[in-house]
Amino acid sequence: MSVKGKRNEKFIITLCDGTTCMNKKSKDIEIRLKEEIKSRGLEDKVQFNISGCLGMCEKGPILIVNPGFTMYGRVGLNDLQEIIESHLCKGNPVARLVIDEDHLYNRFFRVFGDVAFFGNQMRIALRNCGIIDPENIDDYLALRGYEALAKILTEISPNDVVEKIKKSGLRGRGGAGFPTGLKWELTRKAEGKEKYVICNADEGDPGAFMDRSAIEGDPHTVLEGMIIGGYAIGASKGLVYIRAEYPLAIKRLKKAIEDSRREGFLGQNILGSNFSFDIEIKLGAGAFVCGEETALIHSIEGSRGMPRPRPPFPSVSGLFASPTLINNVETWANIPVIILDTPEWFSSIGTERSKGTKVFALAGKVVNTGLVEVPMGTTLREIIYDIGGGIPDGKKFKAVQTGGPSGGCLPEKFLDTKIDYESLAKAGSIMGSGGMIVIDEDSCMVNIAKFFLEFTQNESCGKCTPCREGTKRMLEILERITVGKGQEGDIEKLERLGKMIKKASLCGLGQSAPNPVLSTIANFREEYEGHIRDKKCKAGECKELLTYSINDKCVGCTACKRVCPVNAITGSPKERHVIDETKCIKCGQCFDVCKFKAIDKK
Amino acid sequence: MLTPIELIKKKRAQAINRIIGKGYLSTKRVYVGMATCEIAAGSKDVWEVFDNAVKNGLTDVYLSQKGCAGRCNLEPTVEVIEEGKVPVKYGKITPEKAKEIIEKHIKNGEVIEKWVIK
Repeated sequence: MSVKGKRNEKFIITLCDGTTCMNKKSKDIEIRLKEEIKSRGLEDKVQFNISGCLGMCEKGPILIVNPGFTMYGRVGLNDLQEIIESHLCKGNPVARLVIDEDHLYNRFFRVFGDVAFFGNQMRIALRNCGIIDPENIDDYLALRGYEALAKILTEISPNDVVEKIKKSGLRGRGGAGFPTGLKWELTRKAEGKEKYVICNADEGDPGAFMDRSAIEGDPHTVLEGMIIGGYAIGASKGLVYIRAEYPLAIKRLKKAIEDSRREGFLGQNILGSNFSFDIEIKLGAGAFVCGEETALIHSIEGSRGMPRPRPPFPSVSGLFASPTLINNVETWANIPVIILDTPEWFSSIGTERSKGTKVFALAGKVVNTGLVEVPMGTTLREIIYDIGGGIPDGKKFKAVQTGGPSGGCLPEKFLDTKIDYESLAKAGSIMGSGGMIVIDEDSCMVNIAKFFLEFTQNESCGKCTPCREGTKRMLEILERITVGKGQEGDIEKLERLGKMIKKASLCGLGQSAPNPVLSTIANFREEYEGHIRDKKCKAGECKELLTYSINDKCVGCTACKRVCPVNAITGSPKERHVIDETKCIKCGQCFDVCKFKAIDKK
Repeated sequence: MLTPIELIKKKRAQAINRIIGKGYLSTKRVYVGMATCEIAAGSKDVWEVFDNAVKNGLTDVYLSQKGCAGRCNLEPTVEVIEEGKVPVKYGKITPEKAKEIIEKHIKNGEVIEKWVIK
């Protein structure tokens, strides 16, 4: 029961627990603060939270008191008493410790920071998602929208914009992690009468929805990023390539483009400057391969969406053979922040070679599913357990799949892997565009590998033989393994085929398609062997490999016998029943109907 | 002539004025999640409840849609924000619950704790 008004008297304290703040003894502060709160009997009045890095490392340790969003910086052990006595007891914030920060990122935190799921995140690309009306340009403008654009048009040369992006250390968020600044530089230097800017919003990984949410929640930030990109490389035209199956995202993007034109951020002489740029939307039909940049370009040109060998890279010869700058939605969304909050600040977040944050679509067997944006360097364990809340129903963690159909499955021993491009690759997976699926003990790894390979096999465009034929052969082998017809040597065949396909395929789709299979073989080889040698599926997912039998708990109630569609169960009432394995079609109805746990499924 | 920076500051001031003109400074601001995922979970009906209430005379409330905050399995979500108080975030809101939020929380300031996302 809630008591009227009670909630309003409660303070919520959030202490930053990022690496830098931790080095600055935020742990000691946590311990002391908890002691003080307890000894003064304030436990009912104060709720204590730990947050992930808040991005103000220089001024750390950071302590935030809500309501009111009072932010204290450089908090020392000696300051705690004053904060408690003055702020928590009397309601007077301690003015000398308050820091005033007006950064773009983490505005989200003011609304959502007290919930652990959100409080452990750091929102840069998704900074406005969930706190503004995406269909009202005024909401974006009020949060310093288009200020980064105005700033570069006023005082930063195109060349210096490129330098800033390079300095920030931003890398492509679409999956491959190519340094964004370098891409911009190459496109800027490339010769061409016309140049193009493209936003790749062809999000196709099963279970991934990062780009859709980003566009639906804050379309203007993507546009602003693209206009800045156009200015930097000297382009006058931009295109957003988005799949037609995202109607709401398209509608909001269209509205954003119209509003932006009306306000003078798109079109001729943007904000009174000499720079002119416009953006149009191109709809894709939803082929996975069109997320590959050369296939995407072909699709815009009106050809069949098929990749071509690189080089030449799109930065030199892209759309209509002109230099073209392609970045993914999330990459574009980071650009205004780098300009306004400085590249130096941006590069202070993350690991040595991976800067900033990454958005993940956390799904599968995890308590809190959802969109997660965390600093690079956060561990898989922190995402799955601290933010995701762990595995539901007391089940055991088995693996986490990152990078969608191009990625791999990592078992428990890799849970402390830090999220960055290199570490994930070293562990045998990839960053990818941000799909993250948690798998528990009830899932069969061979089946998971089969699922992803089925997807890539279906989506293979068929242009090159290794991908077209190779994935088909691999899928056939996987299919026979899961129905109990696997043969000795199948694992080796899969490995050989997989390595060949990776080496010989034309584009990223084929080059990464075997990853789910190869990584599950590397980490769960015994499950493959169990399927092939013992004809057993440990997780009980592969139906054909199951055997049902009746144990001595059977009381002879005849329920199973009555439900069996093929009359495979025999036995008289009040006597133990028997299943005829040769007749059994493994439908599992007897198992579901038995009230005495008398049916074994193995 | 104004520089782009001067121009954007002017535009921002105008935008803020327009938002205030729409009632942003009301005692309570209500945000309803309206992304594809939220709508699939039923947020359009929830929006209707709030929208009708405002049209039928609920005052001192600023109603706005918002994108997806990212808490998939608790959608549709609704936030009630009041200056100087911790923003209240409700999860799994149905039209019936929305009506209750209007009656208890918006009209009487009584937070319905059991639906609050913790």
